[in-house]
Amino acid sequence: MNSAALIQFAISAVAVAAMVGLAAWATQGRPAPPLDEATARRWLADEFPGRTLDGLWLAADGKGCVARSGDRALVLTRMGLGYAARQVPWRQAAAASFRDGRLSIAFGDVAAPRAVLAMTAWPPKELAA
Amino acid sequence: MTNPDLVITLATPFFVLTVILEIVLARFGKLKADYETADTAVSLTMGLVSSLAGLLTAGASFAAAIWIYQHRIFTIPMTAVWAWVLVFFAEDLTYYWFHRLSHERRLWWAAHVNHHSSQHYNLSTALRQTWTGGIAGTWALWLPLSLLGFPPVMVLIEKNVSLVYQYWIHTEAIRRLPRPIEAVFNTPSHHRVHHARNPRYLDRNYAGILIIWDRLFGTFQPELDEEAPRYGLVHNLGTFNIVRVAFHEWIGIAQDIARSPRHILGWLFGAPGWTPDGSRDTSAKLKAEWAARQGAPPAAREAV
Repeated sequence: MNSAALIQFAISAVAVAAMVGLAAWATQGRPAPPLDEATARRWLADEFPGRTLDGLWLAADGKGCVARSGDRALVLTRMGLGYAARQVPWRQAAAASFRDGRLSIAFGDVAAPRAVLAMTAWPPKELAA
Repeated sequence: MTNPDLVITLATPFFVLTVILEIVLARFGKLKADYETADTAVSLTMGLVSSLAGLLTAGASFAAAIWIYQHRIFTIPMTAVWAWVLVFFAEDLTYYWFHRLSHERRLWWAAHVNHHSSQHYNLSTALRQTWTGGIAGTWALWLPLSLLGFPPVMVLIEKNVSLVYQYWIHTEAIRRLPRPIEAVFNTPSHHRVHHARNPRYLDRNYAGILIIWDRLFGTFQPELDEEAPRYGLVHNLGTFNIVRVAFHEWIGIAQDIARSPRHILGWLFGAPGWTPDGSRDTSAKLKAEWAARQGAPPAAREAV
């Protein structure tokens, strides 16, 4: 890489930092709204069409949810304004690590390693079986 | 002009200014564009690093083109207007097949997937470029143009023109252009469909500059008012970690091969989502399930 290319790269890096800063300023004060039940159900319907939900538990901070559909757990986590969805066996979700109000469900997926959700209690007593 | 990179160099200030303009105008409600900090940071950093990553294989790919050109069938002059018209169509057709291959075969999808990994569609998404395209070897698809007799520099200039053209179509700010333009050119509307994860829209509109190739090869899908595009991947990323964004599909391929080496050809050259037992989602499977649901009674459709 010659010096001209290096200077061009450095200027580009500064421009990237400026644009990210501008995006941060532009979105300041407009955090993603907490996930409510209606939105969670709509997103779950998009992700897992045709699935019937036996139960739905929203994270206390509105940053995700876990739903049970038969022997599967359907998990949504907020990704900024969007979300990521994965499913695991319900038994795995029910047995997931729960400490200090944080439920951590591992997906074994390099593109979405785990969901960490703020829950008041876990597993839900009525559907823990 | 014989420096093919000059096209990109000249366009870069335009990229920066228009991203700034889109962010600011969206902030004041003057146009439609969703930006968020982490997503923008990933997109722009992917673009910045991709310019470095491209250098790793640029020499080898250009040397291959030069070698092929030395064995060319015809000699096409760079100074002739007809030659530029010809290379425009030839390069755009090549791009269509490159892009189609990059979506329909997992090895090349692994290099291209990061471009589709944003859940937003704005000008910064255009800059979310691959780090591994050179390694994936899709540059070889352009070699036949040099064999035909197009000088490699001419092909590279045309590739860069296509890249710059495709920048401005990554926006929600422009709804639809006049019908004759929508009929012939790739537009923001057509490309929104391409970036959508709705089953109806999957694996459609592979065009670079001209949408005519999609119309010709049966992959065209217009944007429908009744179905807004939902952007991102079939299974969206659960992380903004840029290393995972860049390499997750490559790692996924390696894990699958390690788990079941005898299916290596399927893991590499099957459709994204292919498995020996069909347990994962491919575009074809998702489309078939979606089509079946359209024929299902309304009660079943509202099950969730």
